Amino acid sequence: MTQPFLSIRNLRKAFGAITAVHDVTLDIPKGEFLTFLGPSGSGKSTTLYAIAGFQDPSSGNVELEGKSLLAVPSHKRNIGMVFQRYTLFPHLTVAENVAFPLRVRRRPEAEVKKKVADMLALVRLESFAQRLPGALSGGQQQRVALARALAYDPPILLMDEPLSALDKKLREEIQGEIRRIHRETGVTILYVTHDQEEALHLSDRIALFKDGRIEQTGSGEDLYLRPATDFVAGFIGNSNFLAAEHLDTKDGTATIRLADGSVVSGVRANGAFGKGQKTRLMIRPEAFGMERSPTSAELNVDIVDVAFYGERRRIVAQTATGQEIDIRPTSTAMQSHDSTQCRQVYFDPAAAFLFPA
Amino acid sequence: MLLDYDRMGWLKIALLGFTALVAGFLLLPVVFIVLLSFGSSRWLAFPPPGWTLKWYQELFADPAWLDAALTSARIATMTAILSVVIGLLASFALVRGRFAGREILRGLLLTPMVLPVVVFAIAIYAFFLRLGLGGTTIGFVVAHTVLALPFAIIPIATALEGFDKSIEDAAIVCGASPLEARLRITLPSIRIGIFSAAIFSFLASWDEVVVAIFMASPSLQTLPVKIWGSLRSDLSPVIAAASSLLVGLTLALMVVTALLQRKVRT
Repeated sequence: MTQPFLSIRNLRKAFGAITAVHDVTLDIPKGEFLTFLGPSGSGKSTTLYAIAGFQDPSSGNVELEGKSLLAVPSHKRNIGMVFQRYTLFPHLTVAENVAFPLRVRRRPEAEVKKKVADMLALVRLESFAQRLPGALSGGQQQRVALARALAYDPPILLMDEPLSALDKKLREEIQGEIRRIHRETGVTILYVTHDQEEALHLSDRIALFKDGRIEQTGSGEDLYLRPATDFVAGFIGNSNFLAAEHLDTKDGTATIRLADGSVVSGVRANGAFGKGQKTRLMIRPEAFGMERSPTSAELNVDIVDVAFYGERRRIVAQTATGQEIDIRPTSTAMQSHDSTQCRQVYFDPAAAFLFPA
Repeated sequence: MLLDYDRMGWLKIALLGFTALVAGFLLLPVVFIVLLSFGSSRWLAFPPPGWTLKWYQELFADPAWLDAALTSARIATMTAILSVVIGLLASFALVRGRFAGREILRGLLLTPMVLPVVVFAIAIYAFFLRLGLGGTTIGFVVAHTVLALPFAIIPIATALEGFDKSIEDAAIVCGASPLEARLRITLPSIRIGIFSAAIFSFLASWDEVVVAIFMASPSLQTLPVKIWGSLRSDLSPVIAAASSLLVGLTLALMVVTALLQRKVRT
């Protein structure tokens, strides 16, 4: 295997008795857009800060092109970073902010001028060059911060929830900008967020963090369609978990008995289960259909509420054991007068996953 | 709010009257001194029988007054510089530091503000007498710096607390060494706090009289000491003129500070 570009090796970080990062190992190829996704306190930001050099890991290593970064102080790591909070230098103009990393590197003035102009063009803020940060909106400030972080052509760009202070519409707009800039510059980006939609929208690959460990690494599609654990299944997208008893597994597909007594075969088993073991069956809300098909399994439910959401309907239903489940069929799959009645809904067992209880 | 000004009804008038009374009580003596400095009566009679500038002429003609004013300015300037430098370093320790005894250190540094000045004056007088610092400029500056420090630490520490450390971190990631980041980014960002600290420290020394009386020698007198000394020998309107100048400079510096703070806020 060739040398990975950036390599995180058995990283561990403890703050006193609390261990924020347990054992994180990850290889990141050059040019990748990798997102650390996870709930707050899952260790994703701590890992990012260890790469930036603001946290010294308790053990483990961070290597860039085979060389350890740990002995290199932050200001000599040559890494770009955009922070969660607005960090433009308040007394300097936009142009001076972008020029700052070049000035501390003692680059010739002509080069600084040209690079500042290029960077402001990259984030489309040329006309704001002489403004002070205080006169900019939050979204504009984060774009300038991005220009500043890229001005010295760092091999890696770290982004710590850079859009969390912005409203939804602006967030989506700047997500588009970030994707474009990643495409145009080819810089390797490590992005931290707790927003799964943002992670799915932006990333080549996602590392899903839980309690200081990486639960699963893969493309958004991998995590959504092939979740390795019930945590991944629950965190990415919406999920229903039904209690089930495992009966038998053959060739990776399992036969189970649901709480209402119905037997379903052909579900995907994540792991090995014993006969009679208590398990949980995960079904995505949109995996339910209203029509029977040759391979589908059925579930008896009482429909409690139906809401129209445009392309999909959102149904709250109750199983025979009284558990509420979330069903989202396409709007055309169901007539509105079907509501408030007892009926069957159908799902494809191959799109359902079995996890340990 | 319980005490909303707009809803106070007739109480509003009472409050206004009371406030005016307190303000008048505080300000009128100063106004009287200034008026008397322009009055023609040698005996500081009020109302003055006529108006004149002769006390100011006398003041500026006497080299002893000028000398005292220059001494005051010199000591206050040195005090301001020393107090800001120490105050800046202390503020970083108090705001950013995580060490045992930090609160005790903060308390200790702010003590001179609440300690009776005369107690401090006697203590430092006895101490400096042994060190041979009594009646010296250095002794003056050191003693005044102790008194001025709280006035430097409070505005600088407040400014530093309001400054997001992520901004400094951003400068470091950009390639600035920690020292460079602080000099080029943090200090300019808290410059209003630093400026206020300098003004307040200057004033703490400029109009300080108790410690100054203990520190002064016949050849080294600050303006407040000279005023105090002259008051005891003869009650001349020249003293009112000198006092007016003292008040005038203080007022000017306060106005400049207020204007700067307003400019930053907008």
